[in-house]
Amino acid sequence: MTALDRVDAPLKVSGSAPYPSDFTLPDQVHAVLVQSTVAAGRISAIDTTAALAAPGVLAVITHENAPPLADLPMTPLGAPPRFPFKDDRIIHCGQHVAVVVAGTHEQAASAARLVQVSYETAKPVLDLDDPRAEVVDNGWGMEVDVGDAEAALSSAEITYEETFDIAPEANNPLGLFTTLASWDSDRLTVHDCSQWPIMTRQALATAFGLPESDVRVLVPYLGGGFGAGLRAWSHTLLAALAARVVGRPVKLVLTRPQMFTSVGHRARSRQRLRLGMTGAGRLVAIDQESTAALGAEEDNFSAVVLGTPHAYDCPNVATHDRQVRLNIPNPGFMRAPGHAEGNFALESALDELSYRVGIDPVELRLRNFAEVHPQSGLPWSSNALRECLQVGAERFGWRDRSPVPRSTRDGNWLVGYGMAGVTFGWYAAPCRARLSILASGTAVLKAAATDIGTGTYTIAAQQVAELLGLRVDQVRVEIGDSDLPPAPQSGGSGLAVALTGAIQVAAANLLRALLDEVAADARSPLRGRRLDEVTASDGRLHLIDDPAVGEKYADVLARHGLDELTADGELDLAAAAADAGVAPAGAFAARFAEVRVDEDLGLLRVTRLLSVVDGGRILNEKTARSQIIGGTVMGIGMAMFEEVAFDHATGRVANATFGDYLIPVNADVPDLDVVFVGGPDAFSPTGVKGLGEVGVVGVPAAIANAVYHATGRRIRSLPITIDQLM
Amino acid sequence: MRGFEYVRATDVGSAVALVSGDPGASYLAGGTTQLDLMLKDAVVPQGLLVDIGRLPLRGIATDGDVLRVGALTTMEELAADPVVAERVPFVSEALLAGASTQLRNMATIGGNLLQRTRCRYFRDIAVTDCNKRTPGSGCAAVTGAARMHAILGASAHCIALHASDLCVPLRALDAEVRVEGAAGQRTIAFADLHVMPGERPDVETVLRHGEMISEVLVPLLPAGTRSGYLKVRDRVSYEFALTSAAAALSIEDGVITLARLALGGVGTVPWRATEAERVLVGAPATARTFLAAAEAAIQDPFTVPGTEFKVELAKRTIVRVLRTVSGEQS
Ligand SMILES: Cc1cc2nc3c(=O)[nH]c(=O)nc-3n(C[C@H](O)[C@H](O)[C@H](O)COP(=O)(O)OP(=O)(O)OC[C@H]3O[C@@H](n4cnc5c(N)ncnc54)[C@H](O)[C@@H]3O)c2cc1C
Repeated sequence: MTALDRVDAPLKVSGSAPYPSDFTLPDQVHAVLVQSTVAAGRISAIDTTAALAAPGVLAVITHENAPPLADLPMTPLGAPPRFPFKDDRIIHCGQHVAVVVAGTHEQAASAARLVQVSYETAKPVLDLDDPRAEVVDNGWGMEVDVGDAEAALSSAEITYEETFDIAPEANNPLGLFTTLASWDSDRLTVHDCSQWPIMTRQALATAFGLPESDVRVLVPYLGGGFGAGLRAWSHTLLAALAARVVGRPVKLVLTRPQMFTSVGHRARSRQRLRLGMTGAGRLVAIDQESTAALGAEEDNFSAVVLGTPHAYDCPNVATHDRQVRLNIPNPGFMRAPGHAEGNFALESALDELSYRVGIDPVELRLRNFAEVHPQSGLPWSSNALRECLQVGAERFGWRDRSPVPRSTRDGNWLVGYGMAGVTFGWYAAPCRARLSILASGTAVLKAAATDIGTGTYTIAAQQVAELLGLRVDQVRVEIGDSDLPPAPQSGGSGLAVALTGAIQVAAANLLRALLDEVAADARSPLRGRRLDEVTASDGRLHLIDDPAVGEKYADVLARHGLDELTADGELDLAAAAADAGVAPAGAFAARFAEVRVDEDLGLLRVTRLLSVVDGGRILNEKTARSQIIGGTVMGIGMAMFEEVAFDHATGRVANATFGDYLIPVNADVPDLDVVFVGGPDAFSPTGVKGLGEVGVVGVPAAIANAVYHATGRRIRSLPITIDQLM
Repeated sequence: MRGFEYVRATDVGSAVALVSGDPGASYLAGGTTQLDLMLKDAVVPQGLLVDIGRLPLRGIATDGDVLRVGALTTMEELAADPVVAERVPFVSEALLAGASTQLRNMATIGGNLLQRTRCRYFRDIAVTDCNKRTPGSGCAAVTGAARMHAILGASAHCIALHASDLCVPLRALDAEVRVEGAAGQRTIAFADLHVMPGERPDVETVLRHGEMISEVLVPLLPAGTRSGYLKVRDRVSYEFALTSAAAALSIEDGVITLARLALGGVGTVPWRATEAERVLVGAPATARTFLAAAEAAIQDPFTVPGTEFKVELAKRTIVRVLRTVSGEQS
């Protein structure tokens, strides 16, 4: 477990890492979006005369004059968003209705205010309970039904039923989403804030009727995504469309308010959770149902109750996922989608039950630990949840607490401890990586993966260095380019597993190719050797048993007159999982929180937060820790601050600025303690498990449980605000 | 492209003449309110901006029992002033509880007094119903997502909050504001500066167009009077108040002899709790008195869904600040 500094840190700190908005092309012009101010209805007229006459304006594109685009393809993560320029219909506030293209950004922004849009408005459907709303049941087919939850509930010694509400949240990566599109006759190049260049390429190619090989999507750096970059949002298509219309490169940067309506959000959700338990604290039934908001014409079904079925050992489990179509901007994926919400309900409920059955909350989770995967009955590829709970309780001083709610006071503050168990999902998609050794003896890795700030550059370089026996500075990592070998999205916490696995295969293939190269080379000390006889260090390949017998990569390439030697590696873990004989596991964790509550004033402060995480083998403790810390801060936001305020009457976002939409500031975040436990995962080829999202999960429940312990007041809706606590 | 003109003023007289003579002109001090409203949100029309930032109106001087604060003094400068810290500490506390260090280094005292409301319905030009922007158009906030809104001095016409922290202790202190206008100088009592919205929420102050604040006169508290500012909000820092209270008390032999109390986060204008002061003066400095004062302070609130909690929260804020300032512990 090393803690290597990020290889891209100097670039980032010096401001020279090129993010999508940093690129400028010769002849580039600027596009600004005009958005609908109503949530439902149709555009009755759109007058662009004044805008067109404004200085510098090259084009104003609306549904009336936009060249038609083909429908986008389905993706492995769901259907694409509806393209808004198809017709005159308005289905949410903030829907793009016009693109103004001008010589400068200021000219485009100014002219955008001159576009006059008239609407024929309809009464929008904005409430989960609106009887007019269309309901989609089990849209993703992810519901689970094992045993007989209903029967088990009716005969359980102890039963529980409560409802949990979670406000909509906005991803809000700091980097404003940007697209810079340019055409070279029929070839399209796009700099974009995508977490998934291959998907964006496919979307653009389909929309414009191009072969994928004629579209290139570039994302060398991304200023955060948190799931916002996992869909082909229409601003990306519109920038490409505008570039085609004006025949010049077009740059489009969303404004902060537009970020709230253009790139998805965590949908509002309501969950009903029913549990059955024995008097000894063993779960006998779980029935968890969620109702979440969905865009009006959106088929991107995203289940909420994802982690529960395999979180604990329980014979009877039923989950239900309903989505309600509303006239709201399309939700999408926000870091730990589903898991963060579902866990809040389950772990709050277990806390409530711990008081009812009189069993310590940590002990209650240990009693229900799933020794094997609850549905398949297969052994876990790894599961250190028990260790997470035990190490966490010890380190946090859990046993020192007085278990009685409202029993610890310090002046005006009531003090409480709370905890939550965390089970994340497992996700894998096929990945390819291309590895080359150059004549200089250094290596290059290429894959169409992205580094969304998580440290992909760093762990990839580390891994190549380790496998090829090089220093990290002898490895160049090229990612963020759809022309490179296809890699899956940075999302679902699957990229680290897939990419490091593919690199491992590529490295083996490369070394095998090198041995093949020297197989008949009389001057090579390695001639006739097999892969399992050799290993690499200090830039040379040598025998495991006799390190003196070997030679430098550079020498082989020089002797054989090669500029480079290249091999691809490919890995399809999802396919391999089917008959692996184990249940592949995602990350596990335990969270422990200490809070202080001033009941008179409703003030809530988190004073300690410990995360104990089983992330399999940790490639880089520093980047791994940063992922957990960042996720934890988002979890604090979800627990205490974040809420997209949709105006009840109009569906407008009433707080689409950082002044009004609250996220935690430094002073809200205590020192965050992070510990890793567990060992390499048995199914992941590199022993690695994904860590990008688990950091969010369990924070809201741990905080809410600590609030209960402090005050005796149970809060089942997020965010927990002053008005709920006073 | 809609342009705007920018002039850097070199002396007070010509600045006043420029703005007074042009109905579309306005002053630019630190710009932390004005630039957002004019350039980013386009809520106020673009017109001539007269930058007064370099005028010699910056500095703090003690004049007997009054502190004379130049209008262009920054929030950070006033907060750090030793006389303020010693004689009116709640002014310093209120300043430091506001905005962020970066903003406080730009923002001026004059600008703080005249900052416009943060009501998102006011600040979003896509919203058509806003009596403050377009008299007679209605108020979208009353039926909207209200939280950071006023409950005192509010009505169905407007619930926009006056969000300044600094104004709360200044209101409690009976500060005065010196202004320069085309017709000469005048002094305005702080109580008179901000105007209750009534049926004309677009009229926010008694200033005539072109009048410039040159100085704020802050009376210092008598020796032995203690003061404090309490700001209640979701985040620990960098957020406007949900409720706040500024209190100054003199207590002799357990009896309150002087009381000044003003509220923030609840009023359409900086709110003086006169009734509460009446309850306090002459009464014993006890929890019971403080509670009675809090009850007296919040009368006839106008609430909408989302702001109801402020009625009780404001009372508790008052009780807490009084307890803290009085030194009473339980
Ligand atoms: C993100 C953010 C958070 C904030 N948080 C807080 C907070 O928590 N508490 C708080 O109290 N404030 C807060 N503020 C408001 C801030 O304090 C004010 O914006 C600032 O004090 C205004 O001063 P300025 O010099 O920048 O004024 P400007 O923006 O330059 O001017 C403001 C207005 O006053 C007029 N004006 C300025 N000076 C004069 C003068 N001398 N005579 C006549 N008219 C004048 C201008 O024409 C304009 O209409 C916040 C602001 C922001 C942007």
